[in-house]
Amino acid sequence: MSNDKIKVAVIGTGNIGTDLCERLLKDTKFEVLAFVGRRSTSSGLMRMNGRVPYLFDYGIDSLEPLWAQLDGVFDATSASAHAEHWAIVQKHKRWIIDLTPSRIGKQLVPVLIDKSSLMKISTENVANYSMITCGGQSSAALIYAITKHAKLVEEVEISSSIASLSAGPATRNNIDEYIDSTENMATLLTGCSAVKSILVLNPAEPPVMMRTTVHVRAANFDLVQILKETRNLVAKVKSYVPGYDLVVEPHVAGSGQISATVKVLGSGYYLPEYSGNLDIINAAAVETATQHVQANRLKDARIKS
Amino acid sequence: MISFYDVTLRDGNHALRHSLAPDFVREYCQIAEQSGVWAVEVGHGNGIGASSFLVGKAKSDDNSLLAAARESLSKVKLAIHAIPGFATIKRDLIPAIKSGVDIFRIGTHVTEVTTAQKHVEFLSAQNQTVHGVLMMSHAIDLKGLVSQAKLMASYGASAVVLMDSAGNYVPKDVVARVAALKQEIGVEVGFHAHNNLGVGVSNAISAIENDATIIDGSSMGLGAGAGNAPLESIIVNYRRMTGSAPPLDKFLEMSHLVEMKYPEFLPRTTSSSIQSGDAGVFSGFAPQVRQLAAEFGVSQEDLWQELGKRRLVAGQESMIREIAQDLMNL
Repeated sequence: MSNDKIKVAVIGTGNIGTDLCERLLKDTKFEVLAFVGRRSTSSGLMRMNGRVPYLFDYGIDSLEPLWAQLDGVFDATSASAHAEHWAIVQKHKRWIIDLTPSRIGKQLVPVLIDKSSLMKISTENVANYSMITCGGQSSAALIYAITKHAKLVEEVEISSSIASLSAGPATRNNIDEYIDSTENMATLLTGCSAVKSILVLNPAEPPVMMRTTVHVRAANFDLVQILKETRNLVAKVKSYVPGYDLVVEPHVAGSGQISATVKVLGSGYYLPEYSGNLDIINAAAVETATQHVQANRLKDARIKS
Repeated sequence: MISFYDVTLRDGNHALRHSLAPDFVREYCQIAEQSGVWAVEVGHGNGIGASSFLVGKAKSDDNSLLAAARESLSKVKLAIHAIPGFATIKRDLIPAIKSGVDIFRIGTHVTEVTTAQKHVEFLSAQNQTVHGVLMMSHAIDLKGLVSQAKLMASYGASAVVLMDSAGNYVPKDVVARVAALKQEIGVEVGFHAHNNLGVGVSNAISAIENDATIIDGSSMGLGAGAGNAPLESIIVNYRRMTGSAPPLDKFLEMSHLVEMKYPEFLPRTTSSSIQSGDAGVFSGFAPQVRQLAAEFGVSQEDLWQELGKRRLVAGQESMIREIAQDLMNL
């Protein structure tokens, strides 16, 4: 190939897939070779007419002639379709970023790569990364910062509120799975089994911005270190999610309890600004792909030399 | 026939800051069993599975409260409230089925009924009695209310209960809304009052006059904000209206028990509850508003008004701190 851009396909032409496609088209590190849906009349596909070289409407099978050129794919379809997509991607020895709640891939929050022992970029090019949930992506930095400077963590709680308009049928239908998956990430990160996740939808007009609050109860805390760590990590998340801000700093919220809140404003690529919940997932997906490809290309270069 | 539905041991848990203990549940249910009440609802104030830093940690877990109630109830039904987003099928509803709960009320903010589809359908498929609850039911127009209620019924709810969670209705609102639901949806209609404006009992009576058949109340009105419609007052009013009602003595015994045990927690209509009710803000925010107004040195009135403007819904308790902080910095 003539350039070293990361060549990808986006599968799924709904709101998330379309926003992801717009985002990748504006990112000079990427080249979107194909956008893949199931209906030729999908508004997402029509929107990309003339902007993405290959527009396909018969699912992942349509990628057959392109695998040799592709580095990897983004899956913005559904949890039930993801297992099949992963099998095909493995066969072609490529990576996949899973934006569905399938829980098949390895849970990854980019800001914590190499900070948490469980959040690592794969040393194999064949990899499957799960973007967890919006609650998971938005809370992870806070959970990590607070629990790192706490002793004997007893409980972790994540509560998010999002605009009703930003919650599509999939979110509404899978609210229990959302809770499960977010709690699973918190346990993974902290080793604490007393975790709780809450999701609230707010229908206010104009729509509310997403907020996520983390509560941690522990035997004791170093609040000064927590503040420092939190500000540092929030700034790092902000480097790939520009609308991510700490709105309530870590503070003592009761005996043995620390709490902090972030707000997530969307970047407005395709989805409106109030969809911070969808924005943070897509931003995390692009960041994960970037880091995966950079790490593996570096490794390959080392092997060659 | 009216089914009188007692929420003392659930909504009352808001007033008690979720400190309800199994011993009291047992003692209360023993009287309730003989009262002629149709069902007793038990659990955390925001429903089973909601104990959290966000809305309040419960002293006793839902399972121990439900077990205590189950021991003492046989004629009277045991009921729970559960909100998707807080409670899940696996963690909360399945154990509640195992605890012998008779009636499952699944509640959502009035515009968000689709988040309850899986939960209502699951319970229906398990042959459980499931009712849909529309919380903050004032926060939508009449047409929207009817379509959300129809959705609940389509998932398999055998009744739809209107909650006036903010205590915002005056009787004419109840008349319009209950009558519309009776006409449009083919299932039973229930009504749940809050007394922020001082018209909780009148609202419950208006609901009965418009053919609502499930009427919520609590002993001494023990409930969130300014409390619910006192059950004992509803019973007296109902007897004077119709000449027939369950005997009053056991209801008075239950309210006496609450009054003796929790004298400092009894809710009442206050200037603050009138403001929150009129602004249409969730009554359950009262403890956070009191605490944070004091912490940031802002007035409760200003804070209630701001919460009303920003249209917060139950479960956004953590935003009250951010808003109090903003008000302080004005």
